[in-house]
Amino acid sequence: TLCMAYKHLTSKEYEEIDRRLFEARTALQQREEKLAHVFQFIEKDLILLGATAVEDRLQDRVRETIEALRMAGIKVWVLTGDKHETAVSVSLSCGHFHRTMNILELVNQKSDGECAEQLRQLARRIKEDHVIQHGLVVDGTSLSLALREHEKLFMEVCRNCSAVLCCRMAPLQKAKVIRLIKISPEKPITLAVGDGANDVSMIQEAHVGIGIMGKEGRQAARNSDYAIARFKFLSKLLFVHGHFYYIRIATLVQYFFYKNVCFITPQFLYQFYCLFSQQTLYDSVYLTLYNICFTSLPILIYSLLEQHIDPHVLQSKPTLYRDISKNRQLSIKTFLYWTILGFSHAFIFFFGSYFLIGKDISLLGNGQMFGNWTFGTLVFTVMVITVTVKMALETHFWTWINHLVTWGSIIFYFIFSLFYGGILWPFLGSQNMYFVFIQLLSSGSAWFAIILMVVTCLFLDIVKKVFDRQLHPTNTEKAQLTET
Amino acid sequence: RRRRRLRVFCQGQQAGPLGGPPARRGAAPWGSMAMNYNAKDEVDGGPQCPPGGPAKNRRPDNTAFKQQRLPAWQPILTAGTVLPTFFIIGLIFIPIGIGIFVTSNNIREIEIDYTGTDPSSPCNKCLSPNATPCYCTINFTLEQSFEGNVFMYYGLSNFYQNHRRYVKSRDDSQLNGDSSALLNPSKECEPYRRNEDKPIAPCGAIANSMFNDTLELFLVGNESYPTPIPLKKKGIAWWTDKNVKFRNPSGGESLKERFKGTTKPVNWVKPVYMLDSEPDNNGFINEDFIVWMRTAALPTFRKLYRLIERKSDLHPTLPAGRYYLNITYNYPVHSFDGRKRMILSTISWMGGKNPFLGIAYIAIGSISFLLGVVLLVINHKYRNSSNTADIT
Repeated sequence: TLCMAYKHLTSKEYEEIDRRLFEARTALQQREEKLAHVFQFIEKDLILLGATAVEDRLQDRVRETIEALRMAGIKVWVLTGDKHETAVSVSLSCGHFHRTMNILELVNQKSDGECAEQLRQLARRIKEDHVIQHGLVVDGTSLSLALREHEKLFMEVCRNCSAVLCCRMAPLQKAKVIRLIKISPEKPITLAVGDGANDVSMIQEAHVGIGIMGKEGRQAARNSDYAIARFKFLSKLLFVHGHFYYIRIATLVQYFFYKNVCFITPQFLYQFYCLFSQQTLYDSVYLTLYNICFTSLPILIYSLLEQHIDPHVLQSKPTLYRDISKNRQLSIKTFLYWTILGFSHAFIFFFGSYFLIGKDISLLGNGQMFGNWTFGTLVFTVMVITVTVKMALETHFWTWINHLVTWGSIIFYFIFSLFYGGILWPFLGSQNMYFVFIQLLSSGSAWFAIILMVVTCLFLDIVKKVFDRQLHPTNTEKAQLTET
Repeated sequence: RRRRRLRVFCQGQQAGPLGGPPARRGAAPWGSMAMNYNAKDEVDGGPQCPPGGPAKNRRPDNTAFKQQRLPAWQPILTAGTVLPTFFIIGLIFIPIGIGIFVTSNNIREIEIDYTGTDPSSPCNKCLSPNATPCYCTINFTLEQSFEGNVFMYYGLSNFYQNHRRYVKSRDDSQLNGDSSALLNPSKECEPYRRNEDKPIAPCGAIANSMFNDTLELFLVGNESYPTPIPLKKKGIAWWTDKNVKFRNPSGGESLKERFKGTTKPVNWVKPVYMLDSEPDNNGFINEDFIVWMRTAALPTFRKLYRLIERKSDLHPTLPAGRYYLNITYNYPVHSFDGRKRMILSTISWMGGKNPFLGIAYIAIGSISFLLGVVLLVINHKYRNSSNTADIT
């Protein structure tokens, strides 16, 4: 901030000033004081013109973005190198602090004891007043004092404040604060957004570092995990892309475990009936190709394309982000659900086929008998169909590619099996599977059993999903309904 | 072919949808920052427009696939969509289940265990025979007559044809008539591969343990003169097994010549080329042998032995009455607590007699119907609250 003022000088006054300045500038001793003296002589009786100030404008829509972050349940801390007054006024203007918030201060602490006393005072104030929201302002020096001895107390105060502003922060201190949050008991996930070179250590320290490509150069963007061009893009990055990515990856992980549980459990159950001799239920080619060919594409396409809610809805309703907070979709509860589902499906596959055969009755219309390979192929066929249709049930966003890979996988399985069992392969030592699949498909009982088992397995799942949606729908599910 | 629009983003241009100038991201992020670091870029905020052609553009294409804007169908599993399905499943499955159950109930089946462990059983003497072969006879009565084609099976219990070492103990090339495999069977057949320095044909544990009891059926008619029931031994194995997978080795005139240089399996009485007098049921293509070689899935299994074809439509194939079963008891199962039995069964389009499928269909159909009703009630009750609920 600058003041502009002027004064008219006569030539006599000018010469006087010139002479005094010359003397002061060429003085051999106490030059500084003499110069100051002369400047004071000159700067009198000026007429004020005005004041100038430089406006460092906030980026577009910063206020809305921070509001959205708060609605999503994300705690926002501002770490800046600016001085106290500037930082507080910027915080107020960008929506980080509300006008209604009670601002607590931990600034200008000179000694350790003073800092501790102030911290305790702040903690007391927070405890007394539950209704109002608290904001905390800390400056760099006080922060280093607090972190030296009173980490726990400091974190306690911070946790209870809904917004924290750290001013006068050195770059390394920013990283230190992030480290402190990372190791706090709840182990939160931290995301750092910065645009200057002084933010680089913070960006590298946080779990996710985002650099804004801006007027201060590209250092932050170069060192970040993700670079965006404006601060407002953070909301789309988190609430649309981040949300999609999380749903896709969480479902991918759970589904992979599920389909392999479905795959291996019947093998395990069969051991009880073959004297634990490790006789495989399925042919070795099926064992190899299950994860590679028959069940790989649907989940791949899901994890590339799935959009469980429309992107516009996601961006306009940041509270939907809370549905995936705390790693909810990879929690023990969800994992147990998928695993138990896998086990129950596997039991249905195996024992459905087992009771179908009963005391080894014929399943063909001509009275001929099936062998162990046909039994295993029956279990395998039901399994491939079930896990693929389960993936279809999980998918909310059906593009033409999804249709192609889902139904195509099942069709491919049938075509491959017909082809594989259709001829005697000359290079294979054992011809176990010759014509087995075709014989299986020519049995009416087997077809009815396949349909029954697939329906039974998915029935449980559909019932659970529908009842959950009816009785206690999550916000996500409500959002899905409102957009249709 | 439409030329791809190459957007040039150098200094002075309008910012695109992403905002500022695009990636002239200074090259390799971590290592060689110094290489492409250009102080002028930092200050200016973007590359200068080169005088000539367009700058290299790393922007992703604006296609529907890459920008995730593909058109899609977005179904939701609500009660409204699922309810009709539950009712339909119930309405379809229950009649199917009833039909299958009735079909299964109409199948006639009778099992005669002839192991002879019980001292009072006629076959008890064959457990430790003083003379081989041992013959025994079992009487049984058919309460109801069997109509249509009747199938005769032999069943074994506690016999693990699905043991891993057993299942792999065969040589499919030898059984396919391959001459090199005939004289040099696969290693998988060990220890039933060679005997007395000659290769065994057919090799392996499965062939070695082939079932060799003979069963004959007699009807005790009005005159106390038992009439034998004609048993057909063709058509019991899979057509593809008999005609494609199992082939006799080629070569000489008689089958015996073709198997020259091999010896019979250790536990067999007769060699493989003397299994049957008919040439198209002798050697590897003997149907009893083929049926035995298809290893069963479970330790209690049955295998098709003979067919009893239906007579003219007026007479039932097996009228109700008393019957004799004559057994040539060759196959010892007592040592491993196994059991042997003979099964007579009629067959429907869905196979043998098993009420499981019918009952399962009825059960699933009713559960589905029931849950549909429950869902309807819940849907009705919660209909209002779920409509006005807002996202908090």
